[in-house]
Amino acid sequence: MENAKLKIIKKKDVLKFLDSLKKEYDIFVPIEKNGDIRFSKFNSEKDIPWNYRNTKIPPKEIFFPQTETLFSFEAGTSTLSNGSMTFTPIDESKSSAPGNKNYLIFGIRPCDAQAFSLLDKLFGGDDFQDPYYLEKRKQAIIISLACNKPQITCFCTSLKGKPDNEEGADIILFDLGENILTKPITKKGEEFIENLDSWFKEAKKSDVDKKNELMDLSLKKICSGVNLQNIKEKLDEAFDISFWNEIHQKCLGCGICTYLCPTCYCFDITDEIDHVAGGLAPSRGKRIRCWDSCMFPLFTLHASGHNPRLTYKERMRQRIMHKFNYCPENFKEIFCVGCGRCIRNCPVNLDLREVLVSLMSLGSLCKDKKI
Amino acid sequence: MIEKIKEVVKKLFKEDKIDIFIGYGEGTLPLRTTPCFITGPDDIEKLVWNSYCLNNLAVYLPRSFLPQLQKKDLKFPRIGILAKGCDGRSIVGLIKEHQIPRENLYIIGINCSGMIDIEKVQNAVYKMQEVEIVSAKEKSGKVLVENEDNKKVELKKEELLAEVCKNCQYTAPLIYDVLIGEEKRKTKEKERAAFIKEFEKKPLEERWKYFQEQVSKCIRCYACRQACPNCYCKECFADQTRPKWIGATENISDIMFFQIGRILHQAGRCVDCGACVRACPMGIDLRIFTYKLIEDVKEFFGYEAGISLEEAPPLATFKPDDKQEFITEP
Repeated sequence: MENAKLKIIKKKDVLKFLDSLKKEYDIFVPIEKNGDIRFSKFNSEKDIPWNYRNTKIPPKEIFFPQTETLFSFEAGTSTLSNGSMTFTPIDESKSSAPGNKNYLIFGIRPCDAQAFSLLDKLFGGDDFQDPYYLEKRKQAIIISLACNKPQITCFCTSLKGKPDNEEGADIILFDLGENILTKPITKKGEEFIENLDSWFKEAKKSDVDKKNELMDLSLKKICSGVNLQNIKEKLDEAFDISFWNEIHQKCLGCGICTYLCPTCYCFDITDEIDHVAGGLAPSRGKRIRCWDSCMFPLFTLHASGHNPRLTYKERMRQRIMHKFNYCPENFKEIFCVGCGRCIRNCPVNLDLREVLVSLMSLGSLCKDKKI
Repeated sequence: MIEKIKEVVKKLFKEDKIDIFIGYGEGTLPLRTTPCFITGPDDIEKLVWNSYCLNNLAVYLPRSFLPQLQKKDLKFPRIGILAKGCDGRSIVGLIKEHQIPRENLYIIGINCSGMIDIEKVQNAVYKMQEVEIVSAKEKSGKVLVENEDNKKVELKKEELLAEVCKNCQYTAPLIYDVLIGEEKRKTKEKERAAFIKEFEKKPLEERWKYFQEQVSKCIRCYACRQACPNCYCKECFADQTRPKWIGATENISDIMFFQIGRILHQAGRCVDCGACVRACPMGIDLRIFTYKLIEDVKEFFGYEAGISLEEAPPLATFKPDDKQEFITEP
């Protein structure tokens, strides 16, 4: 029954296919640049690097860019009685490019698609709705690409993932060599393919068999794993155990693990002010939000000068607790998809899997309590 | 060599000369090691020494003496540390800048045979991302790399050395309590500055374009700063909020401000260990800028960082005949 919806598109037709959608969608594809692969605007001159493992910078940047202007404002004409100035928002809808196009994210890895479904819980949860994220996210079609060749740092199978995980994507693709097998996951994805039916033909049984074979092989290649059963409950008791005294020791305190994490979402909000030419009076400005990292001391620095997370120890604990305890508490989900970027790119090879293994191997935590 | 290291560390713990030892331990990925902190003789077997001991361990020293500095009554820890030539030069710099007390350090100097650049291995055999290296073994000047399909390739270590190591001038530290491996490695010291000389010949526009291209890759993760032993400031100018010197975005002007600021703060201090370059996840060619500074300081003030404990650093001295044309006639 399921297999009826499986279609085939020729790999060599994919560029033409995407090109035909350029007017309707803002298309993002993995593109090789400066020796790395990164999601960038589709360009029909550049082929899709079908064999790519994963991007260094996660595709979260499409919906949640490193820097985003929330709104702009200019100095008002009146000054308040206490001497402070007034500002009025600038309506930018007139100046910006007309029409909100739909986003089409093509070829992201299943772990990153799963990360979107996690970020949706935060930015589109019941408590808060983040219009900046949701505006882009809601109209987007996510087309993921199943992994034929996982990396040695992949451990998605420890976290609800697998090479052909469907969560978070509308359509999933399988690279069969000359052909690409497409499988719709959501209604949105189904309609998308139906509307563009002329590009596709029915999948044969041999195609489906090949897909299954590739996925079995791929799953076997994910050799590293951590049993994370009850990690939330374990960490409930773990805030002041001696474990944290040593685990952070080699951490340099940079932001690589958080900035390259597909589920890390913390940001900082600042105002950028332009000044009147030749003076100090503010003329106009914008409120922006930028990625921020719990690994930086500035992250929790209070205006008083007090910092509740003064050392590497408290900051490392926060990163682990947030992903594996606070998020399960708030969203019923671990905020890690096992993509392995933090492991691969850590300058001191501080391996999250090792941290988790030693955490899970701790006996009863209550006995160990000591600060 | 590793047996010798273990022997010395064991003795240090036995004679109660150190509280903690910082060395390298087995990494979880091929071609990697990981900094390793040892607090007793039981853990000595964790130590390794090979061609992947990339990190400059001196980076951990200033912070080890920080909490104690704030509470005067507490005793400083006694730290044993494994130091390659470059780590050793960083230690000299930190002692001179009064960040770490020499008497609390036990330096095991090691004559380093150069470290392997992981990217060179990846690029030597395979195009990026096409193949995953799953293991690497090192034996007498050769590196045997195995990929995920069990294919093995043998490479010469010499061809895989990191750029900073290829022309290294000081393979062993200049201060140490014990030195392991006394035979100095032959390097092409004279070729060291060649890449800067070559770059300087290019027209201004081209150099400016290169600088912009390089720093525009920056994602503001501050790995370069955090990996650098010299970047121990309690509060970095990039983190200050009152006044705020620099915007928080990855806009080119903010990035340039940060990079120029950080690099200039290294003048007369950078020992060319390459820690920033290796830590950078985006592959920014930071060394072309830091090395230019090293050459300038050498030319203007005849000074080289991390060489002697006695010689005063150029930023702390003034001589009437100091070169100043570069300020007045840029």
